[in-house]
Amino acid sequence: MLNEEALATHRQELRRGTIVLACLLLLSRPNYGYALLDALEKSGFEVDANTLYPLLRRLEKQGLLTSEWNTDDSRPRKFYVTSKDGATLADTLKRDWQDLDSAFLSLKDDS
Amino acid sequence: MTVTSSPTDRYVAATLRSLPIRQRQDIEAELRALIADAIDDRREAGLDADSAERQVLTELGAPARLAASYSDRSLHLIGPEFYLDYLRVLTLLLSTLVPLWFVMVALVAFTDGSPAYLAFGSALYGALETAMSIAFFTTLVFAIIERVSAVRTKRKATWDPSSLPEVPDKQGRFKELIGGVIFLAVIVIAVVLTQTVGAVEGPGGDRIGPVASGVWESGVLYIALFFAIASVSLHGLAYYTGWSTGNAIANTVLVTLFAVPAIWFAATGRLLSDDYFRTVGWPEGATVVAVVVIVVVVLLTTSDAIGGIVRASKKRRTR
Repeated sequence: MLNEEALATHRQELRRGTIVLACLLLLSRPNYGYALLDALEKSGFEVDANTLYPLLRRLEKQGLLTSEWNTDDSRPRKFYVTSKDGATLADTLKRDWQDLDSAFLSLKDDS
Repeated sequence: MTVTSSPTDRYVAATLRSLPIRQRQDIEAELRALIADAIDDRREAGLDADSAERQVLTELGAPARLAASYSDRSLHLIGPEFYLDYLRVLTLLLSTLVPLWFVMVALVAFTDGSPAYLAFGSALYGALETAMSIAFFTTLVFAIIERVSAVRTKRKATWDPSSLPEVPDKQGRFKELIGGVIFLAVIVIAVVLTQTVGAVEGPGGDRIGPVASGVWESGVLYIALFFAIASVSLHGLAYYTGWSTGNAIANTVLVTLFAVPAIWFAATGRLLSDDYFRTVGWPEGATVVAVVVIVVVVLLTTSDAIGGIVRASKKRRTR
């Protein structure tokens, strides 16, 4: 049987990159870090807070997200939203994902 | 201190410490809000304030790691992109400069009048010191390159199969290396034996060997031993790292440093004892042996230097 550590590494490798796509899709509506973390978890994307928060800043730096401080609530929060570039990237990544999915399906059919 | 700061305060301060100043304010505000949101969530789920805070901070992990992630800083000294270059430069510098430095220090100490064992000791110490400085500064330079993004992007290292070195005849080279070491050992033992066991009673009544007593007692021969040790280590290292132009140049310098004084000693008649050869009934012996020594030294050192250059250029031609 596959040992637990190797299994975890393989699954992590496969998931790497999917978080970016999930964020870009979820942030078509503005949201803040903690709520996004919650939303990701509820949709079935496992991600650690200490991975997500720096990732949001990196995506913002690359121009894929834009941010704005919202001071309407009792606690000021930084809201992120997917930019035009981000939406374009999300489309590309989503298409890639679907291509991969059908490629896997075709592998199954052949065998 | 009268007021103890909360774990969150300490966590945020520790994270911000290693971040660029212009990012601090924004990250602090966001991080505090994120932590507060997470704590609120857990308290609603029924945890008390302290445990909720502790749990949230534990999940965020070590502040240094979080800060590195925020600032895109690498958590390694030299990454995979530069590691191979680093190894190449390090082995090249170590295998060329250290043996040379060893000989230089030995020569300088010896000509300054230190006894041979002291000269050997300071040469060994000097070589170790040089090796450590080389290792330190090479590592430092590469660690800086790793962190300067301008340098990283400039480097368009492409690898292509034509850079592959020729398959070295490892076994042949190894035999050559061992052969050289044995040859050296035989010469040293032969010289020492004829000088001590094979000594004869000279005209002055004292025992003399073929090597002039002045040369023997002053320990000049130890210098030859320094060269032998340095040469063997240089060849040994080059055997493992493959001969480069640097190795070949270092080797040439090393043998020249040895050959020139050795030939001078033999040619000016300082090396051999005329009395010894007269006593053993071979008056021309001193001259003949001196000529043989000169020829052997010239042949050995030249072939050694050329051998190194040939190996290095063989490697380069395929590049």
